[in-house]
Amino acid sequence: MKKIRVLIAKPGLDGHDRGALVVAQALRDYGMEVIYTGLRQTPQQIVAAAIQEDVDAIGLSCLSGAHNELFPEIVSMLKDREAEDIIVVGGGVIPWEDIPFLESKGVQKVFTPGTPTKETAIFIEKAVRERDGLSEEVYTPPKKIDHIGIAVSSLEQALPFYVDSLHLQLEAIEEVPSEKVKIAFLKIGESKIELLEPLNDESPIASFIEKRGEGIHHIALSSDNIEDRLQELSERGIKLIHEKPVKGAGGANIAFLHPKSAGGVLYELCEKDTKEAE
Amino acid sequence: MTTDQKDFQKQFEEWKALTEKLLNKFPEKKEEFVTSSGIEIDRLAHPNVLDETYMKKLGFPGQYPYTRGIQPTMYRGRTWTMRQYAGFGSAEETNSRFRYLLDQGQTGLSVAFDLPTQIGYDSDDMMAKGEVGKVGVAIDSLDDMEALLKDIPLDKVSTSMTINAPAAVLLAMYIAVAEKQGVSQSEISGTIQNDILKEYIARGTYIFPPKPSMRLITDIFAYCAEHVPRWNTISISGYHIREAGSTASQELAFTIANGIAYVDAAIEAGLAVDDFAPRLAFFFNGHNQFLEEVAKFRAARRIWSKIMKERYGAKKAKSLQLRFHTQVAGSTLTAQQPDNNIVRVTIQALAAVLGGTQSLHTNAKDEALALPTEDSARIALRTQQIIANESGVTDTVDPLGGSYYIEKLTDELEEYVFNYIEKIDDMGGAVSAVEQGYMQREIHQAAYETQKKIESGEEIVVGMNKYTLEDEPKPELHRIDPELQRKQIEKLTELRSRRDSSRVSARLAELKEGAKGDANLMPLILECVKDYCTVGEICGVLREEFGEYTGV
Repeated sequence: MKKIRVLIAKPGLDGHDRGALVVAQALRDYGMEVIYTGLRQTPQQIVAAAIQEDVDAIGLSCLSGAHNELFPEIVSMLKDREAEDIIVVGGGVIPWEDIPFLESKGVQKVFTPGTPTKETAIFIEKAVRERDGLSEEVYTPPKKIDHIGIAVSSLEQALPFYVDSLHLQLEAIEEVPSEKVKIAFLKIGESKIELLEPLNDESPIASFIEKRGEGIHHIALSSDNIEDRLQELSERGIKLIHEKPVKGAGGANIAFLHPKSAGGVLYELCEKDTKEAE
Repeated sequence: MTTDQKDFQKQFEEWKALTEKLLNKFPEKKEEFVTSSGIEIDRLAHPNVLDETYMKKLGFPGQYPYTRGIQPTMYRGRTWTMRQYAGFGSAEETNSRFRYLLDQGQTGLSVAFDLPTQIGYDSDDMMAKGEVGKVGVAIDSLDDMEALLKDIPLDKVSTSMTINAPAAVLLAMYIAVAEKQGVSQSEISGTIQNDILKEYIARGTYIFPPKPSMRLITDIFAYCAEHVPRWNTISISGYHIREAGSTASQELAFTIANGIAYVDAAIEAGLAVDDFAPRLAFFFNGHNQFLEEVAKFRAARRIWSKIMKERYGAKKAKSLQLRFHTQVAGSTLTAQQPDNNIVRVTIQALAAVLGGTQSLHTNAKDEALALPTEDSARIALRTQQIIANESGVTDTVDPLGGSYYIEKLTDELEEYVFNYIEKIDDMGGAVSAVEQGYMQREIHQAAYETQKKIESGEEIVVGMNKYTLEDEPKPELHRIDPELQRKQIEKLTELRSRRDSSRVSARLAELKEGAKGDANLMPLILECVKDYCTVGEICGVLREEFGEYTGV
């Protein structure tokens, strides 16, 4: 696939290019081709460079407060030069109250301080692929098996096998009231085994055990962008148990796919927010 | 007792006697300092036996190598200058913020100029679009400077101006306003940043190429040595190097390397080291790693005094003393949960105080989002007032001196710095290293490493990559009048029609001639501003003669 080309530009007069340089490097490391304009570029210069370099996207960085004047001017000049297919995103010291204005002027996304660079890279990648009608290629495959869920009648009875006989390390025990279960996580390599004990008779685990006995209940796949992923699956006709992610153990965003669409296996998608509070 | 020790004891007695003498002239704030338990607080805690290591590495405050401070009594005699950097919008608006801050107990002014002023463009220049009055006050001509300093007694207040490429122009305007107030240039005091090398490295408000820029700087040194003796002619700044992402040791090393370049340039221009060195000031960053920061400030003093003494043979005590301003680290402020920033600022400011700073700017909590509001600016000032008045850390000199860890860090930072300086010397000095992009690359690499650590969670930023909130409250922010640029342009147009344009052209022509030769440009610029030539016109003439720097 063709590499995405991005112009990182500093409109206005401020000389604070730490953010611009860091984002440029991060996008390069992500696999994009990046051109950096240097400081003090006028909107004309930025638009000319973007067209000449045939970029897919422009990332604007401004820390002086001139964004409301300069960002929209760049977007409108792109339109004048019939280059409005170039995606424009921005960042810097931008007050939250200015963001709706900038977005209404055609800046696709404003990244405020503290945004992980990867989030910026993923956003640009997705926007470019969508523009090019390649949205199905946006997604990377699930990264790993996050955990395997095993239904047990009693944690107390099940745990000694795992801890004492298999010598696995017990990481945490917690209750997930929404699912009416009490769970124990055991670490194994980069994955986990999750033991699920029903909290009461209404728990889905209780009915599972009643129907099929104790044993393997589900496989959880670690996933990025869970909401987009669910939408994609749904568009492909995969039946979902959760249309939207719900909060699961450890504060992760989770959603189950229906076993009918998955050859009788219950799959869970699970996204651990790295920013999650502990 | 060995002979050495007898000697050290003698030096100690001499230091005590000198301090007593000083106290007669400048008494301390209290007759007696005691803790809550009634324990008497020594002016200086020190080891019982003064051995060679102690005397060589630390000595006494106010004495070479100044590790423990540049004055014998430090904050017992006088608190540091609380100097909050401020400026936005029009000269009139900034003047009223200044007067508010002075009323609130601030003791010095610090002017932030907008970017067009800092890069030598008038408010009606194409390049100024969207920038007028945004990050600081817009100054086009002496007219604006008069409004900025209205009713501020320039013989009493010292003023720091963050201005670099056009520093000569703004200093000239300040001198001209003072004279209009009846204050002569020999009475005014303050600082211009005037540090162009770090602009190429990290801050970006350069105009001219390095060579003519260095000439402007040494012209200012020479002019002020003769006419404006109380003015700090440069503030050699590590602040922005650190903000751009350097480590503490890089901040120190590159700043000192730049300092060496300025001293070399001045000596080359024919100045005697002891004539200008006492007016060199420094500006450092107060960052998060508390103990390393304290060590950094202490190491800075020791390194500079050694360089001035051993490399340049400076004789005057004031030439050997590194005096510095500190601003706490803007880049550590988070947009998320901005109240947390008050705590960061407190820790960083405390490090600066324990490191012996001469003046301090504490950031406001909302600066990752916008310029501070009046409320947040007040909390920032209160933070240093609390350290000064409530914490008790000011009651003894260099309270952390002698800590095994602090002394080890101080030594190691010194070693790092001398290694870097050797490397930069080998590259032909700081100017040449800057032209080769060496420091820029080192800093960028460090910045990227930090970013990766934050994103992987190895480095924790509270409220940003850990302990986050789902719904961030949206604080009130300071807004700049969007009409300001239009108003400022009207004012400028009116000035252009009012002033004597034949005098303006004559002055600019004289400046142009001067720039071609090797005359000191400072008096010529002073004449220009007095006849209301604008910042853009003066810098325009110099651009024609000197050319423009376009980056590496």
